Amino acid sequence: MSIARLRLVASVLPVLALTLVGTVVSAHPMDDQNAAFVQSIDGPAIFPFLYLGAKHMVTGYDHLLFLVGVIFFLYKIRDVVLYVSLFTVGHSLTLMWGVLGDIGANAYVVDAIIGLSVAYKAFDNVGGFERLFGRRPDPKGAVLVFGLFHGFGLATKVQEFTLSEVGLITNMLSFNVGVEVGQILALTMVLIGLTYWRSRTSFLRHAFATNVVLMVAGFVLAGNQILGYVFYS
Amino acid sequence: MTPTTDRPSTKSLALATVGALLVAALIVFGAVLPAEYGLDPLGTGRVLGLLALSQVQPITMADSEYRTDVVDLELAPTEWVESSYRFEEGAGMVYSWKATGEVSYNFHSAPDGAPVGYAESYDAQVSDRADGAYTAPFTGTHGWYWENVGTEYITIQLTTAGFYTSAHEGRSRASGERRLRDARGQPLR
Repeated sequence: MSIARLRLVASVLPVLALTLVGTVVSAHPMDDQNAAFVQSIDGPAIFPFLYLGAKHMVTGYDHLLFLVGVIFFLYKIRDVVLYVSLFTVGHSLTLMWGVLGDIGANAYVVDAIIGLSVAYKAFDNVGGFERLFGRRPDPKGAVLVFGLFHGFGLATKVQEFTLSEVGLITNMLSFNVGVEVGQILALTMVLIGLTYWRSRTSFLRHAFATNVVLMVAGFVLAGNQILGYVFYS
Repeated sequence: MTPTTDRPSTKSLALATVGALLVAALIVFGAVLPAEYGLDPLGTGRVLGLLALSQVQPITMADSEYRTDVVDLELAPTEWVESSYRFEEGAGMVYSWKATGEVSYNFHSAPDGAPVGYAESYDAQVSDRADGAYTAPFTGTHGWYWENVGTEYITIQLTTAGFYTSAHEGRSRASGERRLRDARGQPLR
């Protein structure tokens, strides 16, 4: 195995490992203890919900992989802020709307779509849409739309627990703010990693392969959720 | 803005996409399905030992002897009583108690070797009944404190069944007063 190939393997293995570990741990339901806590809350609890939101985002590899895909080719910080804001607007809308409006969706279906959003973005990154269909769907619109699905996914996670009506809005806002805090933390890590990698020549050489691995990861996430839907719904 | 600088050919793109789907299917059917759902269509679960991951083990064998106790505890107004049990870590019991009136109670436990007065509290309320299952998080003394906060005589009937090694009813302390504190140093209510 040549050095270049070894480097390639080294660069894509973590993504795959993350996906596998994540899949085995199953799609991030809150820990049993957290769940028991959430159900016992009757009234506003700003910081616990803030923490849970941030934890969900930092440990939610499906959201993280999607963000990696989105900012993979965004070199300007202005673009990063723009796209991440669109994603944030999208998922905040459906998170609040889903929980406050008590709109239920099957968590496996939503999570499967979230998995596919990772594959979609990776396919977009390798120029798949232009090449195969002649035109590329508006990337800003796509991020917004998938943001809506990601928010719906967050909402279904929170709705799995019988939440008290008392302090619901405060708690949901706290959870949402926590999600954004977690997103900023995660994004900082991803940006540091990407910026470092971009300074090397290996970045463009392995960009294609990395996005293909991202696609695999997205398909695995989606496949796992489809299995969950088939067996548990 | 083009996403990639070196744009792949249609052939390599199609290959990569189909390949990604195939690898994903291989992972899902070869690893996730046997490990998470106990199904092994490709036989990889048996070969790699992944099938064992999906086997839920609902039984915990007990080391200590099984015992059941039914006790009636009488409490005059303002009187209190403790029912404590010795549990090894991981041993459990199911319990059910009913009182003829509302009592203030607290289920707590103290690990062996903890400082005097230290206890962790799991359930503290005012109620006339509670039913549940308890698994000891550590080896030590575990049990209830009940206090009659009303003005009438109250009888509590308590049924416990499980793998505790001793049961003890306590109504007084050497110090003559109760100074239990939880992990945060707050007095137990």
